[in-house]
Amino acid sequence: MQQLISFTTDYTRYILKGGVKFYAWMASLAVLMVGMMYVFYLQNTDGLIVTGMTSQIHDGLYFANLVFLVGVAAGAVTIVFPAYAYHHEGMHKVAVLGEMLAITAVIMVMMFVFAHMGRPDRLWHMVPPWGIYSFSSMLGWDVMVLNGYLILNAICGFYYLWCKYTGNPINQKWFLPVVYLAIVWALSIHTVTAFLISTMPSRPMWHHSMMPIRFISTAFAAGPALIILVFLIIRKNTKFWIDDSAINLLSTIVTWCLGIAIFLTMSEVVVELYARTEHANGLYYLMFGLHGLTKLVPWFWTSVILMIGSFLFLIFPAYRLNYKVLPILCVTTFAGIWIEKGMGLIVPGFIPTPIGEVTEYYPSFVEVLLTIGIWAFGFFILTILLKGAIGILLGDIKYGGSKAVATK
Amino acid sequence: MKKIATFATVLAICGGGLYTVIAAENAAEQPATAAAPAEPLVCFESRKGASEVTQRDLKPGWPNVKCSPTTGAALWYGDPFDGTVPMGKMPGLENLPEGHALVKPRSEKLALMPLCGTSCHNGVGPQFTPPTLPKDKKPTPIPTMAGMVPDLANFQHGRDRIWCLDCHHATKRNMLVDNFGDPVSFDQPQLLCGKCHGDKLRDWRDGIHGKRIGEFASDGKKRWFTCTECHNPHNVQDGLRNKGFIQLQPEPSPQLPKGMADASHEKLHPIPQH
Amino acid sequence: MAINEKTSADPVRQSAPACPAQPASADPSQAVLKTTRRDFLKAGGMLSMSSLMGTAALMAQSDDAHAAIEWAEHFQKNYRLMTAEEKAEAKARLERRYSGEYGKEVTVDTTEAQPGVLMGYALNIRKCIGCRRCVHACVAENNQSRGKDRPGEKIEWIQVLRMERGKFEQEKMNHGYPEGLGIQVGGNAYTPAGQVLEGQYHYNPEKVPEEDATYMPIACMQCEKPPCVKVCPVRTTYREPDGVVVIDYNWCIGCRMCMGACPYWARRLNVTNPVLPKEEMNPVTHYLGNRPRMRGVVEKCHWCLQRSRHGRYPACVEVCPVGARKFGNLLDPESEVSKILARKNVFRLKAELNTFPKFFYFYD
Repeated sequence: MQQLISFTTDYTRYILKGGVKFYAWMASLAVLMVGMMYVFYLQNTDGLIVTGMTSQIHDGLYFANLVFLVGVAAGAVTIVFPAYAYHHEGMHKVAVLGEMLAITAVIMVMMFVFAHMGRPDRLWHMVPPWGIYSFSSMLGWDVMVLNGYLILNAICGFYYLWCKYTGNPINQKWFLPVVYLAIVWALSIHTVTAFLISTMPSRPMWHHSMMPIRFISTAFAAGPALIILVFLIIRKNTKFWIDDSAINLLSTIVTWCLGIAIFLTMSEVVVELYARTEHANGLYYLMFGLHGLTKLVPWFWTSVILMIGSFLFLIFPAYRLNYKVLPILCVTTFAGIWIEKGMGLIVPGFIPTPIGEVTEYYPSFVEVLLTIGIWAFGFFILTILLKGAIGILLGDIKYGGSKAVATK
Repeated sequence: MKKIATFATVLAICGGGLYTVIAAENAAEQPATAAAPAEPLVCFESRKGASEVTQRDLKPGWPNVKCSPTTGAALWYGDPFDGTVPMGKMPGLENLPEGHALVKPRSEKLALMPLCGTSCHNGVGPQFTPPTLPKDKKPTPIPTMAGMVPDLANFQHGRDRIWCLDCHHATKRNMLVDNFGDPVSFDQPQLLCGKCHGDKLRDWRDGIHGKRIGEFASDGKKRWFTCTECHNPHNVQDGLRNKGFIQLQPEPSPQLPKGMADASHEKLHPIPQH
Repeated sequence: MAINEKTSADPVRQSAPACPAQPASADPSQAVLKTTRRDFLKAGGMLSMSSLMGTAALMAQSDDAHAAIEWAEHFQKNYRLMTAEEKAEAKARLERRYSGEYGKEVTVDTTEAQPGVLMGYALNIRKCIGCRRCVHACVAENNQSRGKDRPGEKIEWIQVLRMERGKFEQEKMNHGYPEGLGIQVGGNAYTPAGQVLEGQYHYNPEKVPEEDATYMPIACMQCEKPPCVKVCPVRTTYREPDGVVVIDYNWCIGCRMCMGACPYWARRLNVTNPVLPKEEMNPVTHYLGNRPRMRGVVEKCHWCLQRSRHGRYPACVEVCPVGARKFGNLLDPESEVSKILARKNVFRLKAELNTFPKFFYFYD
């Protein structure tokens, strides 16, 4: 018990300490979060009318980000899996950072769920015993697997940190099975999220069985791309050294998952546009516009250029292993997939409506600010979690070593 | 032929007299409505020019009907049986409980009706029996009648194969005529129309064709819309349109969704028109 | 429990009848306010969670009846799981709130499905003239939001689709398909005739029907296998024993999964607090039907439950000027829909999706 108290206090004390850079970063995130809270208030007094969503296109930026972030959460498995299944040395050292990223991403997903709902005050209706849990609903399953993933990662991550902190050996008997479960679970969260939209025959653009694998391949490109960026920032700004081998493995994963994602997208384009049935209208709208409406066309082609461009550079080791170029490629990959899988997948699913009405969607200021605010909140949590984790990994926080922290 | 000519002359003279009567009536009505502070809201039910209903409150805040501010059409019924009377005997509907089949009397709408049988056609009809048009003649619109019922000038029903007395009773002009030559009320045109349009009558009797309001149960209390409430008997096909129902103004289109300036894109086609 | 029922039912009898008698200018909520407060204090002893919460809200923050009732509404159960007493309580609570808000006596019906009735609908697609009278009758009956200022404030449950008849013309004959590949040229005067679900919703000609168009109204199909019901994570939308798919608006979380799953685009979202003028509000409502909705919940056609549960035709059927709309009991062989199924050629929209609509389109 005493260990627990000192863990909490040491952890808190450590994360509260930082340089000017740290405080400036956190303060600017906090400002965005205040903005987010204001627009969330607006949205929940005036209603979703303050967003760009309509009865025609009723899932927009929030849902797009939700889907994307589930992918980022699942992408954390690209660290954990090599670390535990292949005993990759460099990865093993940083596996816990991946878990922290997963925790953050899942929390962000939850926040986007809140932002997306018409009645967030009634979300308890989904939670038994007060509410009703529906096993027939994919959204119900999604909420369940996401919460499960959050809990699994919190257990794995913090148990590992706890052992490092106290110096106790890790109890492999239950820890490893939980880690393996978390790895499989990571696939499940993104699969179920894909099922969320691909199980609707009313939306032909989404109604194909390729959706889960496409989701996972894009997730395993975007997730590690973000992780590489985080790792490079950590390497630059802290004493914590992340092995080149870990980063190189991640960039290889990004490359080939991105390649698979591009391949799947191209397959879809061929299959849909060769016959050009009415069911291809959504994709056609995305690529060329429909009925003269072309709002998403530039976004789609930007995403195509970003993804294919990144891939072409990434396949050459000269660029992939160059840590000056790699961050740029990670950013372009991340942005390309964010467009392709977020706005580029969710919005055209509603265009046209199942009865053929073609309308367009523009995110409103409220939506954009709320989205940015949630991202800011995510980075806020991520900073805290990573800082604490790195502190423990470095040995800055240690049981009985409070003095060291105090003097630092 | 001579008979018809005489008949037409009589009709013309009577019609002239009648027309002045109606004109006087209208003149008397107009100042009254103008003086009233709130004009009673009258909306048409099926087609314009047929049955109408005047809006009034049955209870505070519960009108008998709501009318469209755009088109003046009846949009909602607070009381579906407002101003109805029992349909009367109708073959095929005998099994309906007493008073469950109602119609809106059409006779009162037709302003000429009470006069037709007295002023002009006082039991007078063509002397030939049956009152069919001689084969060497075509029906000719009588100017006076056409003045009162404009559709007669462009009479189309039957496309020259039928004439007035195929539908109107020869001697009782405020009545229609059934298969047996017996008079039929204007409130029961189905007995007349069904003579030729048997398939439609059958569908109408079963509720498939035409319109009924009230209780949906098969033996429920309903107001039945009769043939002429929706179809113009003199001009059913509406000229070249060749449709049974006259064109009317549509109600307003839906609100444009957010982000759409107009709906012009709807007119374009997703696949190019080769 | 008997006491419980009595106390909760009381205020309606006290306050509601007083409302219509008041002059239009007076604020009707004033009258309701005091009774409500007393009643909520009276109800303090009740063990029902909703009542407790209402009381708590009342004592804690305000004696605004509206707020207290809404607060209590937050804690009520899913309608299907409510006991008879809880249903009566919820009904009384809503009647009191609506009567206050709209300044007239509002009734909230809770009539159950009638035994031996399975509702069905048929629409004669050859007859429809596209006049949209059904659309507006539906709005007059079902208390939809009808604001004009901001897009999204106006909700209509029925959509009328205009489809072009199309014309094959000699001039188009020289174009080929597939074009540009030299596979075939000529013998093709492509036209969208008969193309469904690729049409126009905002048509506004002077007169309908237009010569070059056909029309097809679409609303909730009350499917036998409704995809919307399957995807609802809180089971707030479900199929009633008389075949109508309903929504408990107080349980809906606004996740919009049902809107995505519906292949007929039948569902609408209340993107803001509904704009429903007092004088236009229809005071005869059903709990699962046309009672006023709140912001953030989904709504749709329910075949005018408040009417049809009492044997009356839905509003759209009654105003269709051409009698294209037919409604009746599918279990009764003498009903008009049964006769149509027996005699006419019918089809179900998007039958390939196996949703089995109880809304049939037919031809003469």
